[in-house]
Amino acid sequence: MTLNTEMQMPPTQINPLEEDTNTKPFSIWQDSFGRMMKNKLVVISLVLIIILLFMAIFGPYITPYDYLAQDLTKRNESPSAMHWLGTDQLGRDVFSRVIYGARTASLVSLLVVFLSSLIGLVVGSIAGYVGGKVDFVLMWITDLIMAFPYLILGVVISVSLRPPLTEWMEDRFLATGNPIFRQTSFVDVFIVIIVITSTAWPPYARLVRSQVMMVRGQNYVTAARALGLSQMKIVRKYIIPNSIGPVIVQMSAGLGSAMLTESALSFLGIGIRPPIPSWGNMIQDGLLVWRTAPHLLVAPAVVLGLMTVAFSFLGDGLNDALNPKQWK
Amino acid sequence: MPKYILLRIARWIPGVILLLLFVYALMFYGAGDPVRLMFLKEPGDVAWDTERMNAIREELGLNRSFLVQFGEYIGKVFKGDLGNSLVQRRSVNDMIKSTFPVTLQIALAAAFLVGLFGIPLGIIAALNQNGFWDNLILGAALFVWSIPSFVTAPLLMVLLCLNFKILPVPYGWKGVFTVNAILPLFVASFRPMALVIRQTRTGVISVLSEDYIRTAKAKGLSGFTIVVKHALRPVLTPVVTQLGIVFSNLISGSLFIEIIFGIPGIGRLMKSSIVDSDYSALMGCVLVILAVITLINLIIDIIYPLLDPRLRAQQVREK
Repeated sequence: MTLNTEMQMPPTQINPLEEDTNTKPFSIWQDSFGRMMKNKLVVISLVLIIILLFMAIFGPYITPYDYLAQDLTKRNESPSAMHWLGTDQLGRDVFSRVIYGARTASLVSLLVVFLSSLIGLVVGSIAGYVGGKVDFVLMWITDLIMAFPYLILGVVISVSLRPPLTEWMEDRFLATGNPIFRQTSFVDVFIVIIVITSTAWPPYARLVRSQVMMVRGQNYVTAARALGLSQMKIVRKYIIPNSIGPVIVQMSAGLGSAMLTESALSFLGIGIRPPIPSWGNMIQDGLLVWRTAPHLLVAPAVVLGLMTVAFSFLGDGLNDALNPKQWK
Repeated sequence: MPKYILLRIARWIPGVILLLLFVYALMFYGAGDPVRLMFLKEPGDVAWDTERMNAIREELGLNRSFLVQFGEYIGKVFKGDLGNSLVQRRSVNDMIKSTFPVTLQIALAAAFLVGLFGIPLGIIAALNQNGFWDNLILGAALFVWSIPSFVTAPLLMVLLCLNFKILPVPYGWKGVFTVNAILPLFVASFRPMALVIRQTRTGVISVLSEDYIRTAKAKGLSGFTIVVKHALRPVLTPVVTQLGIVFSNLISGSLFIEIIFGIPGIGRLMKSSIVDSDYSALMGCVLVILAVITLINLIIDIIYPLLDPRLRAQQVREK
């Protein structure tokens, strides 16, 4: 029996039934991992996600064409040996653009999940640990945002952030002459991340809060308090590590939904805008010519669909593997 | 009971006012000068004539402080006046009046379909718990749930209208009972159905293990009667709530379906007002959608105890 001292596992979480078996000792994490790997759909999803990350990191170096290179003599061509997924309205290679879209999607969703889980962790643990009026106000705000349709909130924030930000960038450019301030894609990515994060953090906060309230009453926390540990230290060393499990599941689902929201905003023309390819804005572009060149629509739609399905099956598998209460 | 309803309404009002303030502040400080936006598309260079701009601003009362303007706007909104469009010479009320009924039709029809197919599928899954049909239905539901409508809609359009030529290319809106409506309604009801299926399934499974169902079985009632007459009643309460949520999602998600199928509803109005920077129309759309969703939430809150006698009893006990 190995005690995972790093994660500060309380002894109660280790299955006592495993104690007298002859097999090699394994931790709860290995156990969960093994269970997860038995689910074929999860394995397939994991492979797809690894491919996505690979494409996001190395994609632009291995694609045959530049994602911006135009060839106006070859517009809206169907898939061929030269262009695996055909070309778009400006003669750009769709395959290269779809792969570059993986970079946009992963960049945005990773940052969003990082930021929103961080905010959720802070808000949730404060609300859960402090309780009282603080808890009431924080949860009221959380509920309010959750009741608000995320899409409408996204539209409002993105529409009202863009003009002042663009103006500020232009001012900086005029003041410094640094061409980096003419990169509109920075503004786009920044806005998309702000928009999605501001709608994505409430579920984390709720989750962390309920976990913290559960862990707070455990004996080892009382013991730590009796030993005279500071509040901050108790939260950091005992409360958060012991309440993180469901948050990981939520993070996996969050990656998928952040990716989806990014595409949705880009599809509406208020997220990542051309020429930077995002699957969402490629679908929107494809919609203009779908009767004559359906591949422009199908390619990004299929890839986006596959990725969101993969994340959702992975989340489901993680949930089965990590939430011991559902074991039957 | 009236006290409960009043309490619910009282809890909603500060939230709604805060949301309005938030939306208005974002638009006020972020969106840019409405007067300039109004004239940017006009011929001539009115937009750059500072003196005239200031005169117009004064005339329209746009140079007053934020709170005064917000107060006035709220007053107007509660009287049902959403102001005038910045781009078209129409009132926002008019624009919404001509578009919102279409969205409402789609949402109602789709919510109906969701209930019609989702509840039976959920029951079938629950009765075959962990069997073949259960796994199939649950797997399909998870699969469908993870694909956004702006992916399903184009793919189905290419597949059905272009490859198989089963359906004519849907464009525009002529009513619920036309060929054009098939694809939009299908896509709209596709995703939310997964939610209802899952909810019904968990509900039925948990109810089936209760004592009164065993009693019904012991009395020799047929499986159909047990499910429909006894098991379904307590399950339907959360499902109805879920349908309310589905309905509000359909209203706010109308954006995608209306853009893809060219349906002149509120979603498309929103999209075009984003493109034209018509912020007063956008604000109007946002407010109407918010109002509908708030109303639905309120209705759910109110009818929930009406549907579930156990909750009603609990309230009486609390008194």
